[in-house]
Amino acid sequence: MFKNIQIKSLLLAAVVFLSSCEKEDPAHIHEGEVITTLEVTVTNQADDSQVIYEFEAEHDDHDNQGNDHGEHEAIELDSNSTYTFEVRFLNESDPDNIEDITVEVIEEADEHQVFFELEGSSITINAASDDHKDSSNNPLHIKTVWETTTAGEVDVIAYLIHEPTSKTGNSRNDFGGSVDAEIEFEAHVEDTP
Amino acid sequence: MLLKYSNFSCCNVFKTVVGIFLLTTSFGYSQNCNLSITGKVISFHDKKPLETAVVQIVGETKNAVTSVDGVFVFENLCPKKLTIKISHINCEDFVTKIDLTASVTLELFMDHHIETLEEVVISKERTDKLSSTTKVYSLTESEKERYNTKGLAGALEQISGVNTLSTGNSIAKPVIHGMFGSRVGIVYNNLMLENQQWGQDHAPNIDINAFEDIRVIKGASALKYAGSIAGGIVVLESSLPIPIDSLYGKTILNGMTNGKGMGIVSSWVKSYENGTYIKAQGTLRKNGDFSAPNYMLTNTGSHEKNIALSVGKNGFHSMWNVYFSYFNTEIAILKSAHIGSIRDLLGAIEADSPSVIEPFAYGIESPKQANTHHTTSLSYSKFLSSNQKLNIKYSWQKNNREEYDLRRGDLKYTPAIDLRLNTHDITTNYEWSRNKGSYDGGLFFQVQDNYSNPDTEVRRLIPDYLKVKWGGYATASFNLSDKVNYAIGMRYEHQSNDVRKWYRNNRWESKNYEELLGSYVINEVVGQRLVSRDLIFNTVSFSTGVRYMPSSRYRIALNFNYAERAPDIAEMFSDGLHHSLATIEYGNPFLTKEKTHKLVLDVEKREGLFTFIASPFITFGEHYIIIEPTGVEQTIRGAFPVWEYSAVNALLAGIDVDLTYEINSELEFRQSTSWVHGTNKNTEKPLIIPPVTTTNQIRYSPQKWNAFSIALHSKITFTQHRFPLNNPDDVPVIENGQKLYKEVDISTPPNGYHNLGLDLNWGPYKIKESAINIGLSFDNLFNVGYRDYMNRLRFYADEAGRNVMFQIKISH
Repeated sequence: MFKNIQIKSLLLAAVVFLSSCEKEDPAHIHEGEVITTLEVTVTNQADDSQVIYEFEAEHDDHDNQGNDHGEHEAIELDSNSTYTFEVRFLNESDPDNIEDITVEVIEEADEHQVFFELEGSSITINAASDDHKDSSNNPLHIKTVWETTTAGEVDVIAYLIHEPTSKTGNSRNDFGGSVDAEIEFEAHVEDTP
Repeated sequence: MLLKYSNFSCCNVFKTVVGIFLLTTSFGYSQNCNLSITGKVISFHDKKPLETAVVQIVGETKNAVTSVDGVFVFENLCPKKLTIKISHINCEDFVTKIDLTASVTLELFMDHHIETLEEVVISKERTDKLSSTTKVYSLTESEKERYNTKGLAGALEQISGVNTLSTGNSIAKPVIHGMFGSRVGIVYNNLMLENQQWGQDHAPNIDINAFEDIRVIKGASALKYAGSIAGGIVVLESSLPIPIDSLYGKTILNGMTNGKGMGIVSSWVKSYENGTYIKAQGTLRKNGDFSAPNYMLTNTGSHEKNIALSVGKNGFHSMWNVYFSYFNTEIAILKSAHIGSIRDLLGAIEADSPSVIEPFAYGIESPKQANTHHTTSLSYSKFLSSNQKLNIKYSWQKNNREEYDLRRGDLKYTPAIDLRLNTHDITTNYEWSRNKGSYDGGLFFQVQDNYSNPDTEVRRLIPDYLKVKWGGYATASFNLSDKVNYAIGMRYEHQSNDVRKWYRNNRWESKNYEELLGSYVINEVVGQRLVSRDLIFNTVSFSTGVRYMPSSRYRIALNFNYAERAPDIAEMFSDGLHHSLATIEYGNPFLTKEKTHKLVLDVEKREGLFTFIASPFITFGEHYIIIEPTGVEQTIRGAFPVWEYSAVNALLAGIDVDLTYEINSELEFRQSTSWVHGTNKNTEKPLIIPPVTTTNQIRYSPQKWNAFSIALHSKITFTQHRFPLNNPDDVPVIENGQKLYKEVDISTPPNGYHNLGLDLNWGPYKIKESAINIGLSFDNLFNVGYRDYMNRLRFYADEAGRNVMFQIKISH
C-alpha cells in the first residue's frame, strides 16, 4: 500500500500546484470590422440642399445609452425630382474612434457591392457619374442618382453585399454573396406645394 | 491483461499453437446431446475478429465459417472429447482438444501475422471489462477500414442507434439515442477527449486509424470515464503488442472519385521479447471539392495529417506507456453557406442550387475550420498480485480550434474564432477481483484552461475560463450465478469554473442581469462590462444493471443509469452569431445541473445461424438543456432570430433492432433499424432528433473463389414527421417591385431518401511475406440527390453524389 501513499502525495502536490494558477482577466475586444451605422447624404440636385440620414441597429449600442434604434426614420423626397445619394458605412462602436468602413469597401471594390431594392417603379436609381468603380468598371453604387416621379411611400432595402457572385442584377438574389449590412427604410415622395 | 500474465507465469502459453479460455464455464451438466460451442476467432495482432475462418469438428461432418464478428456456433453436440480445427487463409491450421461436458463459449486467438504464426494468447472477453451487463457494439476491422476516410462519426453510423449530426460533408459528430455533444463521451486510450465537443459543428478531433478497437455502449454505464454522458460512450483503444520479437504493420491506400480524394494510413509495431514495444501510426489525407449529383459543392475540401507514437513495456509485474499524438485537420465549409442575414437564408432555402458553383479545386478557402489536437500521456500499471492492479496516468490535451469567416480588410486572414483549450488529467485506479466479484475504484483530477484569443477582433463566442474538476468512482460486477451478472457503480464529481466574461451592456440591460449578477462585475469599458464568477457544481451519477442468460441462446440485460451533468460553459455563456443559420446564440448563466434517468433493455437471441437483438430504451431528463428560438434582435443586417439555452423536462424513447441471418455458408443477411422519439414535456413540442433509419445488407462470399466477397447495402432514412416549429417571423421582401412577407422555413425536415452502396473485396492474397486486400466500394450508387435532416447545411445544397472508392491494404 506504500504505493498508494506515494500516489496520494503526488496527487496532492499536483492539486496544490495546479490550483495555484490564477486566471488572468481577459482583454476587452474592440470589434474592428463591425458596421454599426449607415449614413446616407441626400443632395437635391435642383438646389444642392443636403440632408444626412443615419440608420443604425439596436444591436450596436454605440453611444452606450442603451437606446433603442430599431425604428428607422424615412427619407423625405419631392416628386419629379433628382437627388444624389451617397452612402457611408461607419463603425461607431467606440465613439472616440469612429471608423469609416467605406474606405475598405472602396479598396476591396471587386468584393463588394451596394444595392438598393425598391418597391414599385416610381423611383429609378442609377450610378452617379463620379461613383466608385471596381476593376471591371462596375459602379459600386456608393454614389447614386435617384429620380422620383409620382408621390407615394416606397419601401427600400439597402444592402452592402460581400463577395457577390454577380455585380449586376435586379433583385437581391441576383447578386449572391452575403450581406454585411441590410437596412430597411421608407422613401416618402411628396408633391411639392 | 491480468489473466494473460498469470498464464504467462505458469506456462509458456505464447509458444503454444493456440490457447483457449473458457469464458463462461458449465451451464450445468447434461447427458443430452443439446450442448453448444459458441466461439469467437480473433486475430492476435490487432485483436479484431477473424472472419471466414473455417472451423471443423474433426471426425464429424460439422463445420462452420466465422461471421464478420469472427463468431461460429456448433449446436446439438453430445458430451464427449472433441477436436476442433480452425483454418484461415493467413494462418496455419490450429487444432485444439476440448472435453465437452457443458455448453461453452470460447475465445480463440489466432495469429494472423505470417511471420509469427505460432503466437497465440488468451484473454478475458474484452467487452466484459467495459461493461458486464450492457450490450457492447464493436466495429469490425472491415467496417472500420471501409469507412476510414469518413471519420469517427461516419464509421460509427454502421451501428444501429448511432446517427450523425453533420455540418456539410466533412464535419460530423456521433448522435447516440438522439443525443450528441456533451451527452456522448469519446474515450481514447482511457482518456476522455476534450476538444470543445459542445459545438454542433465540432467534429471529434480524433483519427480512428490510430485505434484497433472501437466500441459503443448506448447508455451511460462507463462511470470509470464520466458520469455526465446520458447518450452513450464511444471507446477507442489500441491493442497491446505481445512480448515477442516481431515487426509488423499495415498500410492502406485510398482513392476516391468524389472530391478526388486520396489518403494513406500506415501503422507499424515493433515488439521485443522483454515486453518493450514501439508503435507508430500516421495518416495523410486530402480531398478537394465534393460534388452533388447536379453541381459542385464549392469549397468543401479537407486536409488531414495525424501521427501517433507509443512506446512502452509490458513487464511481468508492471507496465508503462508513453503516448503522443498529433491531429491536424483543415476543413473547408461550403461557400454558399456563409450568409449575412435572414433574407439571405430565405434566398438559399428558395433556391434549388447553391449560390456559388465553381469548377473543382483542392484549395481550402474561408469559411473554413482548422483544428489541432495534441495528446501527451504517461501511464504506469503495477500488478500487486495476480488479481490486483494499480494504474496511474497523467495526460495533457492541447486543442486549438480556429474558424475563419469571410472578412474584410486587414482581418481577412484572421480567424473569427481562435480557442485554445488545455486539459491536464491525473487519474488513478485500482482494480481487483475476488471470488465472483470484480471491482474498480479510482480518483481523478482535472484542470482545464480555455483561452479565447482576442486578436480575432470578434467578441468571444466562449469566454475564458479555468475549470478544476476532481472526484472518484467505484464500480463492481458480480457473477451471481452462471446465468446472472450484476453490476453497480457510482461516480462523484466536483467542479469549479472560474469564468470571466464580457457582457454587452444592451444585453445586460435587456436581460436585467444587474439584479442577479451586478455584484460580480469587476471591470467596465464603453458598452461592455466584465463579470467574474466562480460556478461550482457537485454531481453524482449512478448505474446498475443485470444480465440474465437463461441458456446459451438468450441474453437479457436491463440497465438503469442516473446521470447528473453540469451545464457546459457554452450552454451558460455562449454569445455569438452563427453564419450558416443566421442566428444569434446566447447562453443562460442561471442553468443548473441536468439530471437524466435512462433505462435500456437488451434482448438477444442466437438460434443457429440467426441472431436477433432488440434494445428499447427510455430516457427522462430533468433540467434537460436545449436551445430554442426566443425572439429577434435588430442588427445592421436586419432582424436576427435569437436562440437561447434553457432547461426543460424531456422524454426520449426508442428502439434499435439488429438481425443477422446466415442463409448458408456463402450468403449472409443483416438488418438493423432504429427509431427515436423525443418530446419537450414543458411544451409538448418534439425535440430535434434523427428520423427512423433502416439498413439492410446482403453479403455473398462464394466458396469457390475463396478470397472474394460482394456486399450490397441499402440504407433508408425516412422523413422525420415530428419536428419543432422554430421558424423566425416572416421576413419582408421585395419581389418584382412588390413588398410581401415570406416564411423562412428552417423547421420542416427534408424528404426521406434511400441510399444504396456496393462493396467488392478481394483478398487477402499472400504475396511473399505480406497479405494484400483490395476493395472497391460505391456510395450513393445511383447518384441520387437528397438532403439530410441532421445536416445543418441542408438549406444550401444536396448531399454528395456517387462516390467510387478504391482501397489497397497491405499487411506486413
